[in-house]
Amino acid sequence: MTSASGQPSTTTIKCVAWDIDNTLLTGTFIESGTRQPPADAEMTTVLAELGRRGIVHAIASRNPPAAAAYAAQVTGSTFVAVECGWDRKSAAIGRILTELGIGADALAFVDDDPYERAEVCFALPDVLVLSPEDMTDALGWPEFSPAVVTEEARRRSELYLDGKRRQAAGREFGGSRDEFLRHCRTKITIALASGADVPRLHELSVRTHQFNSAGEGATEAAFLAMIGSAGREVMTVRLRDRFGDDGIVGGCVVEHGKDGRWTVRLLMMSCRAMGRGVIDALLAWLIRSAAERGASALEVPAMLNARNVPLRLALAAAGFRAAKTASVEGADPAAGRQQVLFRRSLDEPPPELPGWLTGPGRGQPAQLRPGGELDGAS
Amino acid sequence: MGCGVILDELRQLLADVTRRPELRAVPADAPLFGSGVGLDSLAGTLLLREITRRYGVDVAAEDINLDALASLATLADFVEGRSRQRGHGGPGEPS
Repeated sequence: MTSASGQPSTTTIKCVAWDIDNTLLTGTFIESGTRQPPADAEMTTVLAELGRRGIVHAIASRNPPAAAAYAAQVTGSTFVAVECGWDRKSAAIGRILTELGIGADALAFVDDDPYERAEVCFALPDVLVLSPEDMTDALGWPEFSPAVVTEEARRRSELYLDGKRRQAAGREFGGSRDEFLRHCRTKITIALASGADVPRLHELSVRTHQFNSAGEGATEAAFLAMIGSAGREVMTVRLRDRFGDDGIVGGCVVEHGKDGRWTVRLLMMSCRAMGRGVIDALLAWLIRSAAERGASALEVPAMLNARNVPLRLALAAAGFRAAKTASVEGADPAAGRQQVLFRRSLDEPPPELPGWLTGPGRGQPAQLRPGGELDGAS
Repeated sequence: MGCGVILDELRQLLADVTRRPELRAVPADAPLFGSGVGLDSLAGTLLLREITRRYGVDVAAEDINLDALASLATLADFVEGRSRQRGHGGPGEPS
């Protein structure tokens, strides 16, 4: 019941939350003790291997915070979220999910105590609950084997820690979101994708849920074909600020119809970039580009589900409206999936381009529109 | 005036999710998207989640275009209407 090894899932685990006593350590951490138990050698190897695959680690332990610091020291691994306390483990896991902004099905929980495993299994049925013994095997499971490990994935722990420092700064900062983004020296760069960007674009297409218009992933071959095809533009969106360089955090695929219609076949962004102005900047850039290059219409077909409400909020904020709605055949009605065509009027004024955006047509050698400088700003 | 109570609660909620206390003074008809309030997808998601939790109203599931989010006044009307339909008076509902 506690192991899902017999039920391979297509969801890749993004984070493993670990218990400490008799899981990461070969014994029990003693608060006042001078001789602490050493790290479990097998789990230390598993931690390192998962880290190389871009899976981050967290701690959910009934211990004082000193135990987490000790576990990090002896295993040599980074824990991006630490929940030490005497609350239910499912509550600790819930807080980790919120902190990292990931879904329950993207998290695995490892604990030697069958009671704790059962409690998390019951409260959070989507979490993959495992014992330490499962973990050596688990390295071979599809859930723990992302097809590609990109530069962004290898640096994921570091990026989460940058994010924590950014959040802490944000809590102390008094002004609006835009003032904070400026204060952080946020820089968003939109550019035409090249072959080298394909692994990351593929990874984003399968890992993004809250900001994914297609509702399904695209293969590397599909991205390569789209990059090479006439009438299509594949764009990458990079993000960095003074706290760190997030690399490619989003992208889109735009199809230019013979009738002048622009159809955004895929719009996606990492949830890690949420709240940092990326999706708004990308939509504003799309609307401006479509209007300036004489498009007859700008449309985003989107597969709506319970998880991509954030994408709908961004579309609504940028002035997109549902033009056509259809239920998806064969889709589970309970899942509420719906195919909706969102359209943005190009007659109405486009949203402002933020000062921190660089893209074709704006402060960058214009790849799309030779000689096209928008307003010379930034 | 149940709506007035819900409106005040939503105004407080907006100030909380955006972490901008000055929004406690925002006019009921001020646009939530765009300049001014500038509700983004992060704050918007938190706001909708909290509305579902408090009032049992899932705005996103019932309103494809999220027109309810035009202003605090439209949002309060929407929440008030739906929670009453369901006999699901929120905490701000007069008894």
